[in-house]
Amino acid sequence: MSSVAEARAAPSRARPDPERARERTLLLLAAPALLVLGVLFVWPLLRLLSMSVADGTLAQFEKAALDSLYIAVLWDSMEIALFVTAICLVLAYPVSLWLVQAGRLGFILGMFFLLLPFWTSVLVRTYAWMVLLGRSGVINRMLRDWGLIEAPLPLLHNLTGVLIGMVHVLLPYMVFPIYAALLRIDPDLKRAAEGLGAPAWRVFLRVTLPLSLPGVFAGCALVFVISLGFFITPALLGGGRVIMIAMLIEQQVREFLDWPFAAALATVLLAATLVIYAALGRLTGGQAHAAR
Amino acid sequence: MSIRMTRRGVLGTSLAAAALPMPALAQAKPDRIVVNISGGAMTNLFRRTYFAEFEKRHGIRVVDTSPVDFGKLRAMVESGNVEWTVTELGGQDFVRAQQMNLLEPLDLSIIDLSRYPEAVRNTTHTFPSSVYSTVMAYRTDVFPNNMHPKGWAEFWDVRRFPGPRTLRNHPVDNLEFALLADGVAPDKLYPIDLERAFAKLDEIRPHVTVWWTTGAQPAQLLVDREVVLASGWNGRFYDIARRGAPVAVEWQGGSAKQNAFGIPRGARNAVWGNHFLQVMTDPKLQAVYATELAYPGLHPDVMNHVEESVKPHLPTTPENLAKQFWLGVDWWTEHGQRAQEAWNRWMLRRG
Amino acid sequence: MDLTVRGVVRRFGPVTALAGVDLTVAEGELLTILGPSGSGKTTLLKVVAGFEIPDEGTVRLGSEDVTLAPPRQRDVGMVFQNYALFPHLTVAQNVAFPLEMRRMPKPERDRRVAEALALVELAGYEARLPRQLSGGQQQRVALARAIVFNPRLLLLDEPFGALDRKLRESMQLEVRRLQRRLKLTTLFITHDQEEALILSDRVAVMNAGRIEQVGTPGDVYARPATRFVADFVGESNLLEGRASGDAAAEVPGLGRIALARAAGAAGDRTTLLLRPEALRVGAEAAALPNRAHGRIVETVFLGLSVKLRLRLDGGLELLARLPLRPSEPLPAAEGETVPLGFAPEDVHVVGG
Repeated sequence: MSSVAEARAAPSRARPDPERARERTLLLLAAPALLVLGVLFVWPLLRLLSMSVADGTLAQFEKAALDSLYIAVLWDSMEIALFVTAICLVLAYPVSLWLVQAGRLGFILGMFFLLLPFWTSVLVRTYAWMVLLGRSGVINRMLRDWGLIEAPLPLLHNLTGVLIGMVHVLLPYMVFPIYAALLRIDPDLKRAAEGLGAPAWRVFLRVTLPLSLPGVFAGCALVFVISLGFFITPALLGGGRVIMIAMLIEQQVREFLDWPFAAALATVLLAATLVIYAALGRLTGGQAHAAR
Repeated sequence: MSIRMTRRGVLGTSLAAAALPMPALAQAKPDRIVVNISGGAMTNLFRRTYFAEFEKRHGIRVVDTSPVDFGKLRAMVESGNVEWTVTELGGQDFVRAQQMNLLEPLDLSIIDLSRYPEAVRNTTHTFPSSVYSTVMAYRTDVFPNNMHPKGWAEFWDVRRFPGPRTLRNHPVDNLEFALLADGVAPDKLYPIDLERAFAKLDEIRPHVTVWWTTGAQPAQLLVDREVVLASGWNGRFYDIARRGAPVAVEWQGGSAKQNAFGIPRGARNAVWGNHFLQVMTDPKLQAVYATELAYPGLHPDVMNHVEESVKPHLPTTPENLAKQFWLGVDWWTEHGQRAQEAWNRWMLRRG
Repeated sequence: MDLTVRGVVRRFGPVTALAGVDLTVAEGELLTILGPSGSGKTTLLKVVAGFEIPDEGTVRLGSEDVTLAPPRQRDVGMVFQNYALFPHLTVAQNVAFPLEMRRMPKPERDRRVAEALALVELAGYEARLPRQLSGGQQQRVALARAIVFNPRLLLLDEPFGALDRKLRESMQLEVRRLQRRLKLTTLFITHDQEEALILSDRVAVMNAGRIEQVGTPGDVYARPATRFVADFVGESNLLEGRASGDAAAEVPGLGRIALARAAGAAGDRTTLLLRPEALRVGAEAAALPNRAHGRIVETVFLGLSVKLRLRLDGGLELLARLPLRPSEPLPAAEGETVPLGFAPEDVHVVGG
């Protein structure tokens, strides 16, 4: 460690530092993407911010951050995003494990089913869930025919429905980072662990799982952040009982044209997201480093 | 010198000649206009009726876009980059669009409204295209023999009329329905007593299994037997009933309102927008539209072109109109945001 | 503990990776599997370690048949080509891993880890992560991890390939010392013939899924059993000729060559091996029974020796390797023709 740190701290003055040169090249390569991001993302973001304080006061923020309605909805949104993230993780990990060792055909099939939701419009997808999950939907009818339940299960128009619909769409965002992390693990490490006396479950707990953590954290961050922005799925599958902050922002933008307030709400959401993101990054920074 | 003079003379003459056809150029036909409407089944119907007629009369292609989006309208007008020639204006937005100066004034020398009802004849910026209504619908197999709730007081009566219900996840209409259920006279609805309305909504809340978001939902929920009673737009119920679903509409307490069209301020071919709206005043085309969607236009002759069997399904027959109230657009324009916030707050309350 | 491999066959679809391998490693012995890539040596290692199940044949450790046993039940320590250290665990945790899996109590575990690290001279590095170590240090950790639990067998899979030459040589000696001291039965895989000759008690040369010869390094070098072994191990002059029935052979381009003994019945095809260091050049060639003249077409200096490529009149080329002494000049320069010669006892009849 110390020798590495010294080498870093004292680059010879005469020779160009290869590390720096490499960073410069990478920056150059990333320049087009950064430019696009700057124009299409940062600029509108700044405009959004400026819109929220257009009247010269922080009144919009006061309302967005102090009104119990918006705090409650923001909190609910975080909770839902957390649920979705947790469920996605539990489902995605085994799927990723399977994908890594699946043959070519299995991999293609798995990917196909994972990506299917992306090829369907959000409305079609959501109505399909309604057909499946409704009171007299396919699932409830099947369960009743088999005598497993007497009254239909409330699977739709509540939190359950929202979670099912959101997990369906967001699962790939969890699978891909975990899959990538698992794929990066040298297969010799598992062989080494086995050869050193570890049964399969201990190989998993002691080697595979810790080494896949960077992927797990990346997937969680991705799913969590995307979840916070959902509004069509919760509006349709929540039956009105589930309100997420993005739904309120959309309401302000589209229905009331109160863009300053919408901007303030969006900024509060962005700030909350960044705080969580930073916290997660702190938590995972060390991990990701260790597993490299 | 003289040559130069001559030259200038020649140049001047040719410029003058070039300037001659200018007025004609200003009236030159564009190759297309853009009409923004709600989309879905409506697009096909528009294509068959108003679009086809306009293209026939004027030889200008009509391109359709969707959906109707008030925010986008505002953004377009304010950025000066107006893509639409004509746009539909959803819900109460036509009043706000005019208030916010987002519309071109209509040219009533092109649009002939002389035979339209008194109340809308002198419109300045918005074209009253059709009437629709938020009404109650029920399953005829659950409530046969005309034994269904007649009015919102009975909709609220869950003991006599048990079963899950659906209402829109929006304060518009629902606050009125609640007040009607609580015994407020239809002409005393406005200004709306929010507290009283929400107190009444508290009663029905446990029996509303779904608060719907899109227009297709209440009809589908009835078809799927997810609910037995619903509020919804009359055309949606008309559509599923026509296709054989055991669903019928109760007009008592319906909330009637007009649909409107307008020309965004700064639209490039505003003249042709006016011509398009004139096509939309044709009662024969309005009748085709009404027969298909149950949203009749306001031309008084439209009923003469509609078959008898269709009439009971239209909100504008005298019998049906007598049972409904006209939504207080002005109240909602002024208090909509406050009411929505109250609604969100109420929705968020657990239980 | 001794290792016995009997009749092991492993096929991958149409490819036969192991075509019937028999091998015995005696207790405490270091046996090297030497072969080019694709010869099946890695597959053989995997079969012994338990990562591959053979289609036919048996693997025994001592008297126990482990052919079908999973790797974790074999008690075999292995050093992987890329070391396969757990990147998220410290040096101490890496070395403790096999002990942890054997549920050894913590104090005992710590003591053993400290011992093993001391053995590989890495005491004090316990808390480091693998990526904070040099290649040589990483390898020592891998070695410590492979021996800390007193395995019945130690497997080394080309462990020195990634090291630079100097480090490689010192690591080779260190491993050898450690293996002798702990009396570890060791199977060592390499494609580097020099490494194999330096390290091993015995060498098994593999080619195309078979073992071509097993013997001491000296045996394999001086008396290769097959043409492949003769060619693969060390530098060689391979002469194709026909046996003359008596202690001689007829080689095109060289004529009649005297041998120490008969190379077969008269007229039999035979391959003769003459190591470059056995070929004499210059004055000392005159006294030898087998003589010729060759022109020096190439001279390569190799530090302590010099390698000459010589072309004979008939076009035959021979390699000679002469010791280089500062006091003595080279017998001749490039382009000159010099006398050459070799003794009958320095010619080995391959397969004879």
